[in-house]
Amino acid sequence: MWKAMIYKEWLKIRWFTILYALLGMLAVGYLFLKVQHDTTFNQPNNYWNLILFKGLKFFSPLKFIPLAGGLLVAVAQYFPETVNKRIKLTFHLPFNENKVLLCMMGFGSCCLLAVYLILITLFSGIAAFYFPSNIILPALVSLIPWFLAGFSTYYLVALIVLEPVWKFRFLYLLVAATFIPLFFINGSTAAYQPVNITLAVLTVLLSISLLFSGYRFRKGEM
Amino acid sequence: MVKLSRYILILIAITGLAIALPKLYWIAFAQPIKSPFVQYSAVDHDFMILRNEGETVFTNTKGETFTREEYEARLPFVYTRQLLMNQTLPDSLNGEEMDPHQISKYRSIFRLKPEDIRAPQPSLFPLFESQSGRVNLEMPEDFFRITWRMEFINAQTNQINEEKSRMFSAVLYKRGFQFPATSINGIPTTLKSCDEGYLVVDSANQLFHIKMVEGKPFVRQVDLPEGLKFKTVQCTDNSDKLYYAYLFSEDKHLYMLTQYDYLLERFPVDNIDPEKHEIRIYGDLLNFNVSVLGEGFVRSHIFDRNLNPVDEYSENWPVQSQRKEGKIAAALFPVQLSMTDPNSEFINFYFQPSTTYYCFAASLLLAFVQFILIRKRKQKLLNQLPDILIICLTGIVGFLAVNFFPNKFFS
Repeated sequence: MWKAMIYKEWLKIRWFTILYALLGMLAVGYLFLKVQHDTTFNQPNNYWNLILFKGLKFFSPLKFIPLAGGLLVAVAQYFPETVNKRIKLTFHLPFNENKVLLCMMGFGSCCLLAVYLILITLFSGIAAFYFPSNIILPALVSLIPWFLAGFSTYYLVALIVLEPVWKFRFLYLLVAATFIPLFFINGSTAAYQPVNITLAVLTVLLSISLLFSGYRFRKGEM
Repeated sequence: MVKLSRYILILIAITGLAIALPKLYWIAFAQPIKSPFVQYSAVDHDFMILRNEGETVFTNTKGETFTREEYEARLPFVYTRQLLMNQTLPDSLNGEEMDPHQISKYRSIFRLKPEDIRAPQPSLFPLFESQSGRVNLEMPEDFFRITWRMEFINAQTNQINEEKSRMFSAVLYKRGFQFPATSINGIPTTLKSCDEGYLVVDSANQLFHIKMVEGKPFVRQVDLPEGLKFKTVQCTDNSDKLYYAYLFSEDKHLYMLTQYDYLLERFPVDNIDPEKHEIRIYGDLLNFNVSVLGEGFVRSHIFDRNLNPVDEYSENWPVQSQRKEGKIAAALFPVQLSMTDPNSEFINFYFQPSTTYYCFAASLLLAFVQFILIRKRKQKLLNQLPDILIICLTGIVGFLAVNFFPNKFFS
């Protein structure tokens, strides 16, 4: 039965996830095409100098890519459940409702994580051709909050989509609008170093937030 | 589990709102704080103060006011060109001839903000050729790092230049350098008058001067007093070519490193902490002015060129938290949270707790409003106690958070 549950989730998000993974890989490809172009025109040593001492963030085209993924997967996975309140069918299965919701959330998170890992591996692998670790590692420190923002967006959008009352949807949106920007503050490369762990903990905690909307849905809040 | 999810959402809401609400408040109500600009007049042997309080006022420590021309005439090392144009530059001052070329040669300006130190530091640097025989410096093809050895990485190939790396590492090893480096300090730009390489602190807190002369390594260890550790070393490119760097020690002292003979000269002043305060050092033909600028104060210490104390001045003014808008903010928000700090480049959760007890009154009032809402909804008070407690601790932010995520089902 659990397999069937996961298969149902996979049916909902498979094309969106695959499409997003391909678009993400294209974005990474574009990023390094631009690096190739810029190093050809600026000389590699000047380009390194710009990255190290002039605040050039060569990885910035990736800024909103993880966020877009979180948004896309969440909408693809949870919006169909709200049409005609289909999620209620799931709640009628002989399973613990919270476990069902956590299973849905876990599967979505794993798909997102898989795509993110592909993108990060691709980024690090190609970057290793152009740059030494002294440039790649600070770049990864700056990328981490953007990927955490992708997960947070996924959890918060799921919460908002499943919330049955429009008034509260608006209020949750307000909370999301104050929380998500915390991952996108402009700063120098690797400026997020001291706070990445805290943001990761908050993101992991947020992963069970869907239970709140699910509970309200189950209790028939209108 | 559902209850837990609600409290997690409240935590997320409190985090977001505790940052967003104070930010909105300060966008709406912040007023600029205009700090005085303090300089030392070698003409009057007094401090000249420029104040911007609606209109610009030129004054001194005795409260005398001056016209702009009178003010500039008292600061001949700052307004040299203006005085030359006005033909009012004195021929001599305190026995020193006022030669414009000499004035220009000995003039130096150095500024260091806490955010310059408390920031992610690069670990890869270009090592320029110090004696290329060319007028302009050229960006080298490779960059170096000092880990278990000194490695040069070619930017074109992203490969280590083994021959050069071995040559420099061997010389460093012979000079007693303890790998890895803990800080590498230089001026990594071609826009400087000449190259003097880097001042590098090794893992045993020894200080080394490293540069490249005609493709060969130049390594010189600097003799340091026992136990001296540096917070930061800031290299300079002053036209007098007398000093390599300003060095700020862990015990809050300021040193200069002389060129060629590598002597450490200490400014006789305490409590110089570039991690907390902005430091400005102005040098001229006669004096050094070491200014410390913090939130709500400025301290200026004047020394002659032999670093003997000449004069000092300090002034305080109300900081934002002491002004009306700051007191209102402190009453509204028990804690103001921010992801940025004016004294740091790092992004983190920076807490600023309220300095007034009024915030507790505001929190209690909101807790009472919540209590009335609970009674109105005919909910059990016992189940709602955590919400009341959250409001008492976090005030308006908590009040909004618990009502954004209501617990009407929990019993």
